[in-house]
Amino acid sequence: MRTLADRLIGIFISLRLTVILLAFAILLVFIGTLAQVDEGLYNAQARYFRQWLIFGLDLFGRKIPIILPGGYLIGTLMLANLIAAHIYRFQLSAKKIGIQLIHAGVIILLVGQLATDMLSHETQMRFTEGETKSYSESPRNYELIFSSDDGANSEQVVSIPEKLLARGGEMKIDNLPFTIRVKKFWKNSEPSFRAPMMQNGPPLTTNGIAVSFDFRPLAETKTMDDKNVPTALIEIIGVNGSLGDWMISGWASDEAMIRALQLNYSQQMGTQMAENITSHLTAPQFVSADGKLFKFTLRPTRIYHPFSLTLLQATHSVYPGTDIPKDFRSRVRLQNLQTGENREVEIYMNSPLRYAGLTFYQYQMDAGEATQQTGRAPSSVLQVVRNPGWITPYLGCILVAAGLVTQFMFHLIGFISKRKTK
Amino acid sequence: MKLSLFLIRQSSRGGLCLLLCSGLFSGCGRNDVKVYHVAKEELPSAPPNVMAAPDQSSMTQPAQPQLRWTLPSGWQEKTLGQMRVASFGVTNANGQTADVGVIPLPATGQEVQLVNMWREQMKLPAATNAETETVVIAEAQGKLFDIASAEPLIDGKFRARILVAMLTSGGTSWFFKMTGEDSFVASQKATFVQFLKSIRFAETATIPPGSAPAVQSDNGKSIWTVPPGWQEAPPAQFLFAKFVIANASGTAAVNISTLAGEGGGLLANANRWRGQLGLPPITQEDEFSKMVSSMDVAHGKAQIVDFTGTDSKSGKPARLIGVVVPQDGQTWFYKLMGDEPVVEQQKDAFMKFIQSANYANAR
Repeated sequence: MRTLADRLIGIFISLRLTVILLAFAILLVFIGTLAQVDEGLYNAQARYFRQWLIFGLDLFGRKIPIILPGGYLIGTLMLANLIAAHIYRFQLSAKKIGIQLIHAGVIILLVGQLATDMLSHETQMRFTEGETKSYSESPRNYELIFSSDDGANSEQVVSIPEKLLARGGEMKIDNLPFTIRVKKFWKNSEPSFRAPMMQNGPPLTTNGIAVSFDFRPLAETKTMDDKNVPTALIEIIGVNGSLGDWMISGWASDEAMIRALQLNYSQQMGTQMAENITSHLTAPQFVSADGKLFKFTLRPTRIYHPFSLTLLQATHSVYPGTDIPKDFRSRVRLQNLQTGENREVEIYMNSPLRYAGLTFYQYQMDAGEATQQTGRAPSSVLQVVRNPGWITPYLGCILVAAGLVTQFMFHLIGFISKRKTK
Repeated sequence: MKLSLFLIRQSSRGGLCLLLCSGLFSGCGRNDVKVYHVAKEELPSAPPNVMAAPDQSSMTQPAQPQLRWTLPSGWQEKTLGQMRVASFGVTNANGQTADVGVIPLPATGQEVQLVNMWREQMKLPAATNAETETVVIAEAQGKLFDIASAEPLIDGKFRARILVAMLTSGGTSWFFKMTGEDSFVASQKATFVQFLKSIRFAETATIPPGSAPAVQSDNGKSIWTVPPGWQEAPPAQFLFAKFVIANASGTAAVNISTLAGEGGGLLANANRWRGQLGLPPITQEDEFSKMVSSMDVAHGKAQIVDFTGTDSKSGKPARLIGVVVPQDGQTWFYKLMGDEPVVEQQKDAFMKFIQSANYANAR
């Protein structure tokens, strides 16, 4: 009589499981691809691929009540199936070496993909000429930060991810002498300037940026071209009661969005007025508690690096007599105080900077003649990618290819020698 | 076979571990509150002979008076850094250099901390009392800190010196800082003190530091001909310009703002103005049209309303003349409001002022 363990082993090593899992994987890719139309790339990835189980589908405007295995479950089971079969059928013979190599390659591909998904991240470094940055920012996620002078030459930063704010309710954080109550949270929002000559309603709060700006919720955007800019109404409660209500918004600290807003206002009212208006949106907000001053803002999530980059020159050249871009190029100075490194690097198309486990690609640029004419300072955006598993697809593919060639050669040599003996 | 079974058991355990690990990975780290310490911005990038003040660039207030000064000979203006409102370089014949910067920060009263931060930059131990000298800054009394390093900090060869003058005014602490090689900065001290004396604050608040006053275009061309007796004042939030009039008869103010399109329309704005005088809003268009007069202005007609009531802020009787000028897809709002005798006296000057506008210079 077979034990439960034997049965389980039987299932895990069976080819039937492989076929079923492959069928589910095909189905998932099909559903995930269709879902991108309505839900956008990131939402579809999160809902179908970065999931263990999928509860219900939304396709073509209809809800389908069904439970399906998600990308994580299919991938993990495939890996378990492959490893189990590999070990169970393992034979140390020259004849099988091709098969072993192919299996090893596929295992590396699966594990590498999982590692990439879990460990990689993409951020952006945005700077104008002459500006130095030692951090990069998330293009999609925001954080509420409270920074305070810690007495030395540095400041203490307490970072609360946007996802915690979205949950609402009260938060008591060890390093802050107050409680934060999230009264409203909008995943996506829009600011509007409280012009004195317009019929304004009462402000959302009477502190900080809310005096000059109203915010309203917007539907969550799902396209790749737009981004969700969150806004929240928070109350800060000290030991002796409420310290006040404040609006916090990604619009107040996201350089890309501020730039877009300023451009919009300057088209309506001129550059000077636009600068004046946006300065009221970006004015820092402070709260004083326990004898300390805390500056707070909702900003794109930052990742600090132990080195800094200074944008020396942003070049956007075009083919003579046309507007066709010829070259986007950022000349940066890399400074690392820990290692004493101080050198200039050029980053351009297909020539990224690889440094400290990160890859800096040229991503966006606002430079060249058109920028000069509008009086804007030339600026550049680098995409900063960290992917510790970047080598695995190459390694996996090499192993699979080597395995296929070996397997084929064995059969070919065997076939030829058989023919010769005949 | 037993070995295979053992391996399978091990591997299924491994698979389970992997599954659990990946579950844990996906669940942790991304949604946690983090606490970390970072250098104040700009400091890491500052070259060793430029000691930046505590960068709290984000703490810079949006509304600052404009700064004026007499540039000492040998000083050269430099491009402004992120938080500086003025920046200079000084070089002597021997190639010695010093850097001068003016930085406004919200007044925090943490003077000793700041001094200790500069002492730390000079590799000096912290002090409990800040030694100061008195200097004149913009006709007011300010403090001067003179801190010199004991060891060679510049290129490992020269000692460094930092002169910081501080003036707290209207919730803002102004820092005037000279840094450079010890002997050179010491030789420039008298010039630096003279420079501090020459500082003047021009009250043009809400305009970002460095930009031109609102009544002038970027190239300095005037938009209006300002009548005598009108004093330009810092415009309140979102006003384009403001003037105050004060004489023996009382006081009044002229507010000017502009907005794209119709800016809410004449009736809505007239009702807003009526609200400021404690008057009830007008709902009937016919009734309202009787209250509106018009005046010729360049490229069109301006509409005028004239109301008398009680200033809702001061509780005193007041008169308000509002003029709305549509201009190239924009609407300009002019408001003369104040004591009735002053408004009556200034009415003609106000209208001429509006007619004198050259909106091309406002861009």
